[in-house]
Amino acid sequence: MIGPGIKRGTAELAVLSVLEEGPLHGYELARRIEQQTKGALRFTLAALYPMLYRMEQRRWVRGSWETGGNGRRRRCYRLTAEGKKKLSPIRQEWAELFHALRRLTKVPHG
Amino acid sequence: MADWQKLVGQRLSGLALDAAEKDEVHAELAAHLEDFYESLRTKGLSEQAAIQQTLAQVANWPDLRRKILMAKKGRDFMKKRLHQLWIPGFLTFILSTVFLMTLQKLGFQARIVGDGPNAILFCAPWLESLLFVGALGAYLSSRAGGSRGAALIASVFPVLALTAAFLLMFPIDLFVERIIGRQVDFSIVATALLREGIGWILVPGAALLVGGLPVHLLFSRRSSSQETAVG
Repeated sequence: MIGPGIKRGTAELAVLSVLEEGPLHGYELARRIEQQTKGALRFTLAALYPMLYRMEQRRWVRGSWETGGNGRRRRCYRLTAEGKKKLSPIRQEWAELFHALRRLTKVPHG
Repeated sequence: MADWQKLVGQRLSGLALDAAEKDEVHAELAAHLEDFYESLRTKGLSEQAAIQQTLAQVANWPDLRRKILMAKKGRDFMKKRLHQLWIPGFLTFILSTVFLMTLQKLGFQARIVGDGPNAILFCAPWLESLLFVGALGAYLSSRAGGSRGAALIASVFPVLALTAAFLLMFPIDLFVERIIGRQVDFSIVATALLREGIGWILVPGAALLVGGLPVHLLFSRRSSSQETAVG
């Protein structure tokens, strides 16, 4: 079973990586992650927002209200300089973990 | 179409954030649900099915409320609450209970005020000790930076616990009496509730408050004058 620490780490990496491409509001962020992982990673509202708020507290992301083309106000999140700095070591850690698991399990590259 | 804003407001009621921040969270989550719902409708789902799937986004609203609070306020918030409310509160409760038990062991008799079934028991040494217990609760809470509300709740915590016990005990008692087939006279129960309420909750609560309030006022005045001196 995947422990909560691993799950949280995966989720944070996913959110930070997608936000690196540009600012997004919560729903669009969840949709983009699901789309880019072909449905392997899905965020419900209950999983996404506490994490976004936590990341905002840590100043990895910054949220601000913006009005979209359809006139609707949405709170958009963008990666901060601190978040960008954080992303690099997280990526490195996960790359090492995946590499180690691949060697252990002999699972070929996807 | 569902009123998502209203729904989120209702389900997350009691979220302990300031009004503006709470409104922001409500609006943001409502917007997410609205977008999710509309995407399902665009995919051809019926209104009912789309609403159901949208609501499934949150399986446990109280848990979400707790997680949002933790995320927004951080771990410090829980730690502060522990030091400002729970530790002083439980300490006052334990002290008052231990002191009452000790008095009973030492053979102190409670004073009876009133006649017959309306007599109320008062244990004067215990009530006097509650002044100090209440003061201690308020002091510990105020020292940890507790608000007036937290300090006063910490002071009167023993009677809050007793109130909860009473409220739990009386319905259980009525239920048991009914099971064993004894006729219950509600006027007797009401009188007993009032009598015990005065003797064990109202008067001790007042004693705890009388002890706690001046200490909190004194502490907050002193800390505000220190802040002024520093500023």
